[in-house]
Order: sequence, then C-alpha cells, then structure tokens
Amino acid sequence: MDYVYTLIIIIGLYVVLSSSFNLIIGYGGLISIAHPIFYAIGAYGSAVLARDHGVPVPVAMAAGALIALVASVLLALPSLRISGDYLLIASIGFQLGLIEVFKNVSWSGGAGGLTNIPPALPSGTDRGVYTAIVVVLAGLSVLLIRTIAHGPYGRAMAAMRDDELAFSALGRNAMAIKVGIFAIGSGLAGFAGALYAHHFRYLAPEQFEILLSAALLTMVVVGGLRSTWGPVVGAIMLEALPQAITFLNLPASLLGPLQGLLFTGLVLVFMFVRPQGLVPAGTVWNATRKEADYVPGA
Amino acid sequence: MSPVLEIRDLNKSFDGIVVADGIDLTLEAGRVVGLIGPNGAGKTSLFNLVSGVVQPDSGAILLDGQPLARLKIHERARRGLSRTWQNLRLFPSLTVLDNLLVAPRDYAGESLLRLVLSPGRVRRESEADRARAHDILARTGLAGVAGKSVDELTFGQQKLVGVARALMNDARCLLLDEPMAGVEGQAYQTIQAVVRELAASGVAVCVVEHNVAFIRDLCDEGVFMFAGKVLSRGPVHDLIADPRLTELYFGT
Repeated sequence: MDYVYTLIIIIGLYVVLSSSFNLIIGYGGLISIAHPIFYAIGAYGSAVLARDHGVPVPVAMAAGALIALVASVLLALPSLRISGDYLLIASIGFQLGLIEVFKNVSWSGGAGGLTNIPPALPSGTDRGVYTAIVVVLAGLSVLLIRTIAHGPYGRAMAAMRDDELAFSALGRNAMAIKVGIFAIGSGLAGFAGALYAHHFRYLAPEQFEILLSAALLTMVVVGGLRSTWGPVVGAIMLEALPQAITFLNLPASLLGPLQGLLFTGLVLVFMFVRPQGLVPAGTVWNATRKEADYVPGA
Repeated sequence: MSPVLEIRDLNKSFDGIVVADGIDLTLEAGRVVGLIGPNGAGKTSLFNLVSGVVQPDSGAILLDGQPLARLKIHERARRGLSRTWQNLRLFPSLTVLDNLLVAPRDYAGESLLRLVLSPGRVRRESEADRARAHDILARTGLAGVAGKSVDELTFGQQKLVGVARALMNDARCLLLDEPMAGVEGQAYQTIQAVVRELAASGVAVCVVEHNVAFIRDLCDEGVFMFAGKVLSRGPVHDLIADPRLTELYFGT
C-alpha cells in the first residue's frame, strides 16, 4: 500500500508542477525552462527553515512557496524588461547556476543532499492522511489556475497572447501580467517542492535538474496546452505508465530503455497525430460559457 | 478652447527617410480632424509617434497639457489616448464581446491585487463594463454577433469591432487609422454616426482616411500631410479644391 500512496503523492506533485508550468508557457505564452529550480527553491527553503531554524512545518511550506515566488519575480522583472525571448536565456542561466549553488553550499547539504527533514505529520500517522492532503492541495491548485484562466485575468492573458501591441495600446500593462503569471506559476512549483520535502525528507540537487523541465513539457504538450485538465491527464499518464510497465516482469536492462522510449515516442506521436494534446483547449476563450447571451436588465 | 492633444515640432526619420518633419498639430475636444495625404506622407507614422509605438527624434506631445514623451504605450492609453489600427489587430481568440470587455481604459481584472483584495468591487465594475459593452455593440450594429469569434465576421464587421473596442476604451483623444478602408453599406453609415456622437460627447478625434467623401462628410477640418510635413489645415472642401494639394495627392 505504501507503494501506491507514494505513487499517488508523486502524481499529485506532478499535477501541481505541470499545471503551473501550463499557466506559464500555455496561458502566459512565456518561454522558461526554470520550473525545476523553483520546485527546488520551495523544497530547500521549506526544509532548511523547518530543520535548522525551528519554523513549524506548515509555516515553512508557505514560506518556501513565497521564496520561490519572490525569486521568480527577481528573475522575470529584468529579463522581461529587455524582451520576452530574454526570459528563456535568463531562465537557463538561473536553472543551471542555482543548481550548482545547491550542490556546493553547506546549508543545503551540498551534493550529498539534505537529510533529516522534519516530517509534515507526526510520525506514526497513516500515510494515507498525507496522500489525501496532497491530492486535495493538488486539486485546489488546479482549481486556482482554472479560476485565473477563466476570469477577467484570463481574458487579459488571451488578448495579450493574441496581440501584445494592440493590448498595450488599450492601456493594459503586459509586463505586469507576465510577471504576475510567472510569479503564480513559480510559487505553485515552490509549494509542490515543499510538499515533496517534508514527505520524502531527503533532497538531492539532481532531483531538480534541467531534464525535469523536459518531462514537465511532455506532460503539458501530451495532455493539452492551455487546457485545465490537459496537464493533469499528462501528469497522471506519464507518471503512471512508466510505473505500470515495471509490472511486466521485464529484465532491468530492458526496463530503463523502454521507459525512455515511451516518453520520447509519446512526444513524437503527439506532435504528428494530435498536436493539441489529449484534452484540447478550445480556440476561443471561454466559449463554453453563455456569457455572450447576457443582456443587462433582462 | 484648450487643446486635448498638442504636437509641437515633432521630428522623426528612419535611416534618412523623414516621416515627421517639424509637425505642429492640435486636436480640440468635440472636433473631428481628418488627416489626408498620399501614401507615405507620414499619417500612420504620426499615430505611431503619438501612441508611443515609435519614439520621436525630437519634439513634444502633450495630452491635456501633460507631456507624453516618457510614458510607455499602455501609460499613454491610461491617460486617455486611444487608437485603432489599419490592419485591425483584433484579438482572434476572444469573442466580439470579450474584445470589448478587455478594452476599458481602467480594466479592474488585470490587477491580481485588486482581484484578491476587492473581488466585490471588481465584480461590480465588470458588470458595469458588460452593460456598457452591450450598449456599444447595439450602437455599432454588432449585438447579433457578440458571441462570435472575430474570425467568423465579415471584414466590415471586423472594422466595426475595431471602432467599438476603441469606444469601449473611453478615451479623451481617439486616433482612427483608415476606419473606412474596405467598408461599404450599413457599416459606413454606422461608423459615421458613431464618430459624430463620440465627438459630440467631447472627445477629440483624428481620422486618417483615403476616402475623401468620408472625410468631407465627417470632419470639421482637414489637415493635409506630405513628406512628413503638415502643408495645410482648413475646411475639408477648401483642401479638396486646392489644385496644388490635389496635384501632390494624385502625383499628376
């Protein structure tokens, strides 16, 4: 049963990560590969605060998410001021540079990793409890992103993606919206990191390498860019499938390559056959709602 | 009457090609000024300079007496400067209604802080915006297509959406870039009526248009531009009757 709980927790965290990545690259149209490092910032931030500074775990978790959010604003503000493309370059530098910091400073445990992280729940608590907490919080994250994307802010995001110049000429501050999207997305990634840290209680820098953003991108693209449920389906599928084939009783020498093939194969198949993903987003913003039928006073 | 928009000695050249050569121009509240001149005269460039898309080499632009030079595009729009585009630049992934709903000069929904701290106020403002958008759609004859994507509309309807979106912006000064190009029939009458109404409500309007009949019917005054210069300003029929300007316009 522990195995299933762990799998569900991992999937829940990936749901948060892929959905928040979808907010940034899908809804925001921002190109960044630094999502894993904000996941790491939340994880390390929360773990160090709780372990070395006596901060209660729930407070440390919120602080971890907040640190990731602030760090993302510090990255996005100067990058986006230059141009949207510059964010990609800056995010690569930020991702690669900061992971080296985590590998080399003493407070993060260095390359050996950070151990003895305080657990979120008292020891002896049934694992099902934390699993349920993660599932609920993942659901709330998806709901938060959905609310943003389908409300007035989402309308502005859609218009901005369509035509930034016309958008600005109406008085809309595209820069502020981009920074806002990046901050929310990165803050959620940080929150996922904090949830991870206090459950597995061990962090190593290589868990947050740049390759993780390739996996997240796969989840978003295969699931469906700019759709609420796309990244959720993508995360479940791409986390569960590689686990499922371990039950095929194949020799270990085959299993690794087979899982790799599955990932890359899926991306290729989807690019050709179904570029809109498993759960395609509509082409018109909020078209499913009957808002247009609203007549004032009627 | 004090001018809403004041342009003083505005200069701009791109790699030696002069698009604004010492332009002086004022726009007053309640008046519609038509900008005419041949292609390449610098009419659209002037709109780009005023709206902040392009930075001038020198000169001053004032809106209600306040200099705009240091302000970004969106900040100028916030002060009350609005424009339309020759190539429309509508938002194709939004419905006609949503193209308008995203356009109020002060859009409560673009601030995360306001969405979180005063959701009730945002909701009330959104409802007011929605009522205003439906009113504008009715006035521009677009009520029937409110829920359609702008891609599904005829070109004339798309032009109307561009004008309607500018109306929604509730500007002090409106720059219309070729609102009539490709428009016929009912839309023609509608745009005329709407612009007139707008001016009557105290907005300063400037229209770039090749349709001379439209300019003559609509504008209180015409400004003739050629090679980045303002050559003449006066009643439209005088400009049209001036053989010197006609020659420049048609290049004969």
